[in-house]
Amino acid sequence: MHRSRVVARQELVLLVRDPLPLVLLLAVPLVFIAFLKPAAFLALIVEGYPGTNGAEQAVPGAATTFSLFAVGLVGLSFFREHGWGTWPRLRAAASVSEVFVGKVAPLVAFALLQLGFLFAAGILAFGLRVRGSLGALALFCLPVAIASVALGLLLVGLVRTLPQLNACANLAAAVLAGMGGALMPLRLLPGWVRTVAPASPAYWAMRGFRSVLLDGGGMRALLLPGAVLSAFAALFFVVSLGFFKQRRRLGWG
Amino acid sequence: MTKTMTEAPALQVSGLWKRYGGTAALAGVDLSIAPGEILGLVGPNGAGKTTLISVVAGLLRPDQGTVRVAGVDAVAQPDAVRPLVGLAPQALGLYPTLTVRENLTFFARLAGMAPGDARARAASLGAAFGMAGSLGRRVQTLSAGEHRRIHVACAMAGRPRLLLLDEPTAGVDQAARADLLDAARSAAATGIAICYATHHLGEVEELGGSVAVLHHGRIVASGMVRSLLAAYARPVVELSFAGAPPAVAPGDGGVLQGDTLSIPTDDPGGTIARVVAAAGPDAARLRSVEVLRPGLGAVFAAVTGEPYPREAAPPEAAGAP
Repeated sequence: MHRSRVVARQELVLLVRDPLPLVLLLAVPLVFIAFLKPAAFLALIVEGYPGTNGAEQAVPGAATTFSLFAVGLVGLSFFREHGWGTWPRLRAAASVSEVFVGKVAPLVAFALLQLGFLFAAGILAFGLRVRGSLGALALFCLPVAIASVALGLLLVGLVRTLPQLNACANLAAAVLAGMGGALMPLRLLPGWVRTVAPASPAYWAMRGFRSVLLDGGGMRALLLPGAVLSAFAALFFVVSLGFFKQRRRLGWG
Repeated sequence: MTKTMTEAPALQVSGLWKRYGGTAALAGVDLSIAPGEILGLVGPNGAGKTTLISVVAGLLRPDQGTVRVAGVDAVAQPDAVRPLVGLAPQALGLYPTLTVRENLTFFARLAGMAPGDARARAASLGAAFGMAGSLGRRVQTLSAGEHRRIHVACAMAGRPRLLLLDEPTAGVDQAARADLLDAARSAAATGIAICYATHHLGEVEELGGSVAVLHHGRIVASGMVRSLLAAYARPVVELSFAGAPPAVAPGDGGVLQGDTLSIPTDDPGGTIARVVAAAGPDAARLRSVEVLRPGLGAVFAAVTGEPYPREAAPPEAAGAP
């Protein structure tokens, strides 16, 4: 645990030392919400949710989408070690699991901060009304954050270069968010998208968020989405750990 | 238990094999380094030095054989061995956006030091490597030589029992190189065992400790540098004359090449005196005398039957006209 804590602290210092990506991942979704809210308002009316203002779709949609865009940070955290040549000495000083935990913990913390910030901004600046349990909503952010970070680890396991990571991370975020109903409510999307949507973690994130925000749900309504997201996270972790144990070499390009 | 740990070699490698596909990078390596000993691990590029260091550091799993660090089995108990080993890989490994102090402190903390001790250790290493005034500078602002010093210093940050240095002087100037060699000697004086892998044979001769010659994954010679030189490499006296050298080569093995007479000998001074005396009036035509002291390159050639790769070998001549 000691070594994981040291790696985690180091990861935090490195993140804070170059804060622009973090700032962008917090600020840009606000612009995204402002763009999306009017269309989301109309979509929610069509879906049969009168009395909403669109923030109920736009805020969780932006939070989910940009939580997925943050997977690039996860990848960068590992590629950086390889690019700077610090990976071998880090691995000589700590086990794969210790490095994993040390790197993942601050990134999960950031993902939680991002979700919390966006929901808080949604309530304060965009008129988001939480019809269900606020506590359940807060708790549900945890599996969403963990699944996003785990997806980032999976991508690191699958790619070999930083350009590959950038392309795959952005593509995965856009596709998974789109097919999961984060950009537009699922009912307005083609039938085939609705069929494949459950394969996206974004679908389960949106299902959970919407059940609290629109349907007044609480902990009970979040059990299934939370469990599925946790299963996604576990699967991603296990597969990515397998890739890491193969000791592949990552490169800048 | 304590007694066993104290008396155990800092590194004991036995029958170590590592294969990549059908190629054996390490083919039954046996090696031992005592506490405070500097072992020069030499061999041309591709000899297996980095593979051996990677296995000892726990980055690669051996196919066969044992690695014990301070008596602890490195393969069976990697967690116990990690704090005992300091690694400076061949490629620089530093966090460029962090300061020198932050880099040193991080590796000291990873080795288990408390925050205060780690900061104190960073300060003392900064002083030892002549960078006390640069502890607050970001690594990305340092020169190549300073990078390499801090790279090596980070390996020492956790007060390891065994220090693995892989080509520690790569890409540095003479001053930084001398400082790094001094740092290695100082570390050894505190009881740290050092495995100093390099293809620069002159550095190992300069360190003057023991040496293991690695060739195609095997240790083909090992011992004290002095002993190997005595066993495998004889000095050569070279006398250059104005015009053809006189036919005065005493003993066996003198070779004439143009206006130069080369004589392998164990007694350079005596040989020169005998040649000059035997030359008589021709001694006036003597233009220069050089004593070539063969180095580890000659040892390598003697034990492998192959010349040490020229691009990797530093000049070995020492003498005066």
